[in-house]
Amino acid sequence: MYRYDEFDHKFVAERSAEFRDQVRRRLAGHLTEAEFKPLRLMNGLYLQLHAYMLRIAIPYGTLSSRQMRQLAMIAEKWDRGYGHFTTRQNIQFNWPKLKDVPDIIDALAEVEMHAIQTSGNCIRNTTSDPYSAVAAEEIEDPRLTAELIRQWSSLHPEFTFLGRKFKIAVTGSAEDRTALKLHDIGIQIVERSGEVGYRVLVGGGMGRTPMIAKELRGFLPREDLLPYLEAALRVYNLHGRRDNKYKARIKILVHELGIDTYRDQVEAEFATMDRAAVSAPSEEVERIRAYFMPPVLAERPSVSPFIDQMKSASPDFARWLDRNTFAHKVQGYVAATVSLKPIGGAPGDATAEQMRAIADIAESFSRDEMRVTHEQNIVLPHVAIEDLYKVYSGLAAIGLDAPNKGLVTDIIACPGLDYCALATARSIPVAQRIAERFADTSRQAEIGPLQIKISGCINACGHHHVGHIGILGLDKAGVESYQITLGGDATESAALGARTGPGFGYDEVPQVIETVIDTYLSLREHPRETFLQAFRRVGMEPFKDALYASA
Amino acid sequence: MAKQFKPSIVTANDLVEGTAVFLGSEGWSGDISNAMIALTPEQAEEFEALGQRHVKNNEVVEPYLISVSLDSGAPVPLLRREQIRAAGAPTFAYGQAA
Repeated sequence: MYRYDEFDHKFVAERSAEFRDQVRRRLAGHLTEAEFKPLRLMNGLYLQLHAYMLRIAIPYGTLSSRQMRQLAMIAEKWDRGYGHFTTRQNIQFNWPKLKDVPDIIDALAEVEMHAIQTSGNCIRNTTSDPYSAVAAEEIEDPRLTAELIRQWSSLHPEFTFLGRKFKIAVTGSAEDRTALKLHDIGIQIVERSGEVGYRVLVGGGMGRTPMIAKELRGFLPREDLLPYLEAALRVYNLHGRRDNKYKARIKILVHELGIDTYRDQVEAEFATMDRAAVSAPSEEVERIRAYFMPPVLAERPSVSPFIDQMKSASPDFARWLDRNTFAHKVQGYVAATVSLKPIGGAPGDATAEQMRAIADIAESFSRDEMRVTHEQNIVLPHVAIEDLYKVYSGLAAIGLDAPNKGLVTDIIACPGLDYCALATARSIPVAQRIAERFADTSRQAEIGPLQIKISGCINACGHHHVGHIGILGLDKAGVESYQITLGGDATESAALGARTGPGFGYDEVPQVIETVIDTYLSLREHPRETFLQAFRRVGMEPFKDALYASA
Repeated sequence: MAKQFKPSIVTANDLVEGTAVFLGSEGWSGDISNAMIALTPEQAEEFEALGQRHVKNNEVVEPYLISVSLDSGAPVPLLRREQIRAAGAPTFAYGQAA
């Protein structure tokens, strides 16, 4: 894992001291809320419905056990004993008091974490593949690139006041698990005649105007990464309109200019700028690379008689193995997913006790490492097959053994109207009602891969546009109303869902989802045809008929 | 046509705690039943101005008026958002209780 160098430590410590002083001045009345608000937002501190909310960056979603334990400590000491893992691979605490936030920030700095640039119109935490250093088809660990971007973008003076927030994701695999095409910039590590470089996508995003990213560069030599990003951001920043926040994202600029014109401008800027001044020095790249050397895992047998025996003895364990593990590039290992979607729970929430238990399991069985996924789960990336029953039992003891990864109850949901000041409708209770309805694990398995994603407002933090089934909660004259979209896809074959028609009431949603799923089950050609494949084959009509026929 | 006035109260977030609070005759309270109820537009304006003065004293953040129903005796916000704020917690068992 990456460790802070002297510069990183100094930067975080200075920022922490600065924010402590800003909080002190706010509490003493020397700063008004209007003056303080932009300062607190730059440090990840929001004011929500019930309390302040602190959003903490988890760079590229990677956590050590020590860091996870510190998050647990923070949850217990200064919050209400739990945290919420987000669709941006971050964690949010929902109940900190303003006076305690400087202490929380210091506690984060102790474990090389912070909340800088988790809000505001700047470059946010760069996200990455939770199966980094795991997936066999990966060309290179994308976290090396993500870390370079983190260093380049942290407090970048030119990009601290962009027209709007800016989100970057990096994947090292062709199979995309980062929602790459829904980012302002998506970077895919590619190989061309033996040379490793980057494919750069631009202008994707969700929100009220969802768009799929377009290709900006098919192949970028790796040493050009930072200068090229700088050119892309500079063109955006100079054009960037600041009069209308809904038109300020780069997706709108790229859409309005056209990708070819935008590309010409980026290339022109790139051609004339001082690239050497922006490029990462090769010794720094090598220093960072050393932190992302894959762990030394001795090959093991790919079959374990003990695990096979436990599989036969416990159908629950067998189901969990089947759903929640992912093949590792090293024989005899897997990446295991800790589902933060127990039936009836709040998607992405973990208590301090659960965080500590996961940290202990990771320390014993996953090389001290965890990954937060944008699907709001935790991945244990390097687990020996032989150890899987111990891992499973440890998770079962804390209620996080749901065998539902990628299934109908593995629902993404934003905090919604239960927490969020921007929300127009609830989303977590909707997810809970749906999960309860489909609680039967054999029924989930029968339905197969199906992603439901729920947002409580048009800002789309719950990724509803790219849910196989998307649910968008709105306010219709004081009543919660939910629009349903079908056919969305967050992967390399990205697609935006299409609306079924008029929205439904809060209480109707579980039945609506059941109708959609029953319709799929009745028309699929064979049990292996997934919901998404079936939808692409038959289109919207059968679902529309089923949903609105009686109306 | 002018919008018909509805009984209103002033709400804000406590500066230090961040919690939802309501303006009562004895200051801000987390309990909505302590809120002063404005029954006329003039009263509402007066209460809101009072709330703004407390902003200057660093007690609360961003006070605003919300409409309430008085059908049950105690004020109940008309908007679900404000009902959830007034309850002081999500509508489901959260955290350790989950």
